[in-house]
Amino acid sequence: MKLRVDLAKCVGHGRCYVLAPDLFDEDDRGYCVLRHEQVPPDQVDQARLGEENCPEGAISIQED
Amino acid sequence: MRKNPDLEKGEVSLFDGEFARCPQPVYAALRDHCPVSRASLTGAPVISRYDDVMWALRHPEIFSSAVDLQLALGTERPMIPQQIDPPDQTRYRRLLDPHFSRRKMEELVPPIRAEANALIDRFEKDGGVEFNEEFAVPLPCSAFLSLLGLPKSDLDFFLGLKDGIIRPQKSRPELFEGLSGPEHMAKGKELRAESGRQIYEYFETVIDDRTATRRDDLMTRLVHAEIEGEKLSREEILDICFLLLLAGLDTVTATLGCNVAYLAENPEQRRSIAADPGLIPGAVEELLRWETPVTAVPRVVKKDVEIRGFKLKEGDLATLLLGAANIDDAHFEGAESVDFERGRNIHVAFGAGPHRCLGSHLARMELQVAMEEWHRRIPDYWVREGETPRYSPGIREVMYLPLVWGAGASS
Repeated sequence: MKLRVDLAKCVGHGRCYVLAPDLFDEDDRGYCVLRHEQVPPDQVDQARLGEENCPEGAISIQED
Repeated sequence: MRKNPDLEKGEVSLFDGEFARCPQPVYAALRDHCPVSRASLTGAPVISRYDDVMWALRHPEIFSSAVDLQLALGTERPMIPQQIDPPDQTRYRRLLDPHFSRRKMEELVPPIRAEANALIDRFEKDGGVEFNEEFAVPLPCSAFLSLLGLPKSDLDFFLGLKDGIIRPQKSRPELFEGLSGPEHMAKGKELRAESGRQIYEYFETVIDDRTATRRDDLMTRLVHAEIEGEKLSREEILDICFLLLLAGLDTVTATLGCNVAYLAENPEQRRSIAADPGLIPGAVEELLRWETPVTAVPRVVKKDVEIRGFKLKEGDLATLLLGAANIDDAHFEGAESVDFERGRNIHVAFGAGPHRCLGSHLARMELQVAMEEWHRRIPDYWVREGETPRYSPGIREVMYLPLVWGAGASS
């Protein structure tokens, strides 16, 4: 499973890095930064939580 | 009795006391039967479905934020960055966002936690308090002063100015006696302008001080900040300060009131967060969604556009009903129940798109800290028997929220 962030859509709500801090981080403006693209097997639920809570739909998941 | 909303006429009253207290049934009726309605009196279009609100928020070229003249909030120029559109707005946000990031706001946790406790110290043993005046109003103002680096002794001064702009009648009731209609409006406008001038003057002095002496605070950073190598002008700094004052105080006050009023009336959910503070972040999000204290945001229509068969005309002042969007069952499972452990919550209580609330991380932090400290110290409380909380329309401040606890509850 891979994560993608569309930075053209991100406006810094910050839901992803609050709800799934192992996978998402914030830059100096509070915008989304991926910690790693490849989702470790034990963090699949976190990845989905981050993805589905982005109000801008900026995060997508690519299943293997 | 007048129906609200009046679905036959396609009208809704957004300045009605009952709507302010309990807006959700009105939202649901609009969403289901009249997704674009008209505000009674003004006839302005009111947009209520999540998808339509979101679309408008993401299309500033059609739904512009340049509403400073229409709203007449005592400003001499648009507030920055709220009342200007991209691309200029984007430059200001690049500058301001880092000062309001989630990480940056964590630095303010200790002073806000201390302030919350200092406020509770004043009334805990009384067994009751009027929550708005004694807690919901002073806490965000104190956070604002800490953030900007202004002295705490200016608290009352700021509260007076803020009311002078937002609720001129409340700040100087004697001046409105016997006035009606246009005279009443004119007096309001005059008082707003007067408060506005005082706000500009106050911040002029602060800018002079920080120009001469650097301190470790946001005012200093604004004075010395640069966009593409150029310093902000004095007017730009003033227009930012004006916004921080107007947007940062009332909104959090209203949200604290709405949250605590909800919890006072829903003891099972109140006990759940008192027993497990780990539920508080989820509760804060869910109550932002359900209560949506900032019920709506205004936008001016820049070109004719049709939404669900309703024609909006260039120049219309449209209302995006964030509260209605937040209980749209097309986007929220069990939209009309309150679930502190909701898995997916894409509410737009802070707006969305390029104007996503600059202070959203500050607000969330203040709300979480306040909820933690309040429920640690006063886990069980009720609305005083025989009393009813009173909500203001627009921004749903709970103007009167008498609470009791412990021995106070039985006396």
